[in-house]
Amino acid sequence: MTPAMGTEELTADDIDELARRAQGGDRDSLEQLLAAVRPRCLNVCRQVLPYSPDAEDACQDALINVANKIGSWGRQGRFTTWMHVVAVNSARTTYRRMKNQAFSSDVLPLEKPDPRTTSVIAGTRLDLLEAMETIERDHPQFVEPLVLRDVYGMSYDDIATQLGLPLGTVKAQIHHGRKLARPLLRGND
Amino acid sequence: MRRLAAGLLLLGLVATGCGSDPAGPPAPRVTGSAGAAGTSAYDAAVSRPQRDSVYPDVGNDDLDALHYDLDLTWSPAHSLLSADEAVLFRAVRTAGHVELDLARQLQVSHVWVDGTAVPFRHDTSDLVVDVAVTAGSRHLLQLAYAGTPEPVVAPTDRSDFTTTGWTIASDGTVWTMQEPYGAYSWYAVNDHPSDKAFYDVTIHAPRGQVGVSNGSLLSRATSGGGTVTSWRLPEPAASYLVTIAIGRFTETTDTGPHGLPISYWTPTNRPDLVEGLRYTPAAVSYLERKVGRYPFPTLGVLLVPSKSAMETQSMLTLGIGDYTLSRDVLVHELAHQWYGDTVSPDDWSDLWMNEGMATYLAEATWTADHGPDTRTRILRGWSRYADGMRAQYGPPAHYRPGSFGEGNAYYIPALMWDTLRQRLGDDAFWSLARRWLTTHRFTSQDRHSLAAWWSRESGQDLAPLFHAWLLGPREPVWRAG
Repeated sequence: MTPAMGTEELTADDIDELARRAQGGDRDSLEQLLAAVRPRCLNVCRQVLPYSPDAEDACQDALINVANKIGSWGRQGRFTTWMHVVAVNSARTTYRRMKNQAFSSDVLPLEKPDPRTTSVIAGTRLDLLEAMETIERDHPQFVEPLVLRDVYGMSYDDIATQLGLPLGTVKAQIHHGRKLARPLLRGND
Repeated sequence: MRRLAAGLLLLGLVATGCGSDPAGPPAPRVTGSAGAAGTSAYDAAVSRPQRDSVYPDVGNDDLDALHYDLDLTWSPAHSLLSADEAVLFRAVRTAGHVELDLARQLQVSHVWVDGTAVPFRHDTSDLVVDVAVTAGSRHLLQLAYAGTPEPVVAPTDRSDFTTTGWTIASDGTVWTMQEPYGAYSWYAVNDHPSDKAFYDVTIHAPRGQVGVSNGSLLSRATSGGGTVTSWRLPEPAASYLVTIAIGRFTETTDTGPHGLPISYWTPTNRPDLVEGLRYTPAAVSYLERKVGRYPFPTLGVLLVPSKSAMETQSMLTLGIGDYTLSRDVLVHELAHQWYGDTVSPDDWSDLWMNEGMATYLAEATWTADHGPDTRTRILRGWSRYADGMRAQYGPPAHYRPGSFGEGNAYYIPALMWDTLRQRLGDDAFWSLARRWLTTHRFTSQDRHSLAAWWSRESGQDLAPLFHAWLLGPREPVWRAG
């Protein structure tokens, strides 16, 4: 039988401890940490980008970001919660980059890409990401809580801890964000 | 339950045992490929069955199964499995009855021994057949049964599986993973790794579906709108290494080293999953360089909706997920074809014999050869957690019975094998690792026979090393080298 996944061997406390040592500059700990959180990171990215190679690209970028920005983990919540946010943001960045590439490509300049063959459009939640792009122009403060809640499915409490905001503020932002997003989503044409 | 009862009535099956039918019992439908019980064709499956030290309630040491012939019909509309089974067995002791494991959900209508209907009891997950046998004699036991199989609770806290045995996925696909036990959820079996046997499995699948099992596909035909496949395992296998799946699968063929026929069975609606499996021939070649020729005449990979992965004999069963479809897991389950399937443990306390070497071959050695980390670096990482695993789950060969398949059975014995490699040198170590397989081919062994053999062949007393790593209360020190 396969060994249980790497993270199964490490408790949340173990991961936090590795992350603290990695913040202190221990390269071995950082590498172990990245290996341990990779499956979780990939799962987060797959929620945003269901097409597997895109999710893997996003996960790779996310892990690079985790390595570069690990100093900014504030230790006030679980490391994995912080890592979720980094991963969701990386997935959005990857999505944005791929969308730009798709539309600047001159292969099919007038047609929309075929959803069955063009990875960036393949997902079910991409309409939501599109809506986020729109909302971000005027109300950037609503976007991160809304993505964490409705794309990743993180709890209100975790979002509040992560963003360092009161729970009520987070709930209100998500409520307003949803009102703005609703008319932009598929099935509401 | 109403559906089940209706199905049983339709099939004319009543759970009253034999002798109650005024017209006399019907003749058994499956005769067993062996034909006569006197044949010597299955001598290679003669085993020394043991009573398990960790899970003594499953399996028994009175009966040595030599060959199972299963004829299974699956009706998804009623979740009904109806089966005819023939077991050729050798009586280990003289006794007035014989026993096999079989879940109570399956209702047995008739049992025959050597062609004669015999009384039986089936009040628990043991099927007890009242027939007098003498030590060493061989008999053909046949039975007909039907019911809706249910998985059994797995003795583990692992998150990737909580039950084993016959499983019906939400999309209707049937699949199984059954380590350390659970085969008895769908057929009558001596469900213990000390008792290897040959298998012939015929599966009647409904329209649009196909049944997959271990070994070679002998025939595939369409019959009455459904698909009938016949599978044969030409080498003896332990029951936990048997696999079955019934669903919408597509077969893709490939070729491994020395012309090895390989088949990939992937969900028909997921053609994208085939590409990743095409690493299989390269993985087999890699392992052949380490531990010798691939031990079976065919190889397959079957993808099912599981979160885990199993080294089922010559037909790997992999869950559909990023981790279970990773190359690391593919190499790990392939490595078990040598360590685990060719030579199996004869008691579940020696699960480490499988997992330690598979982990050393795949997660340590293969990963080091194909990634940024050296083997030393990988092992050093594990060595930091080994102490904690031993404390939490117990020593590798004396784990807590509720902690089957935890990290202590994988990473600690991998560190042990590396320690042994450093002590003997690479050439001697790998040479013995290969010879252990050829000299114990298709048998079940334990830590005592293993330690004695390695000591004798290396000319060193290795018993203290094995004992300290496998049973000691404290984690031995692993050093890089």
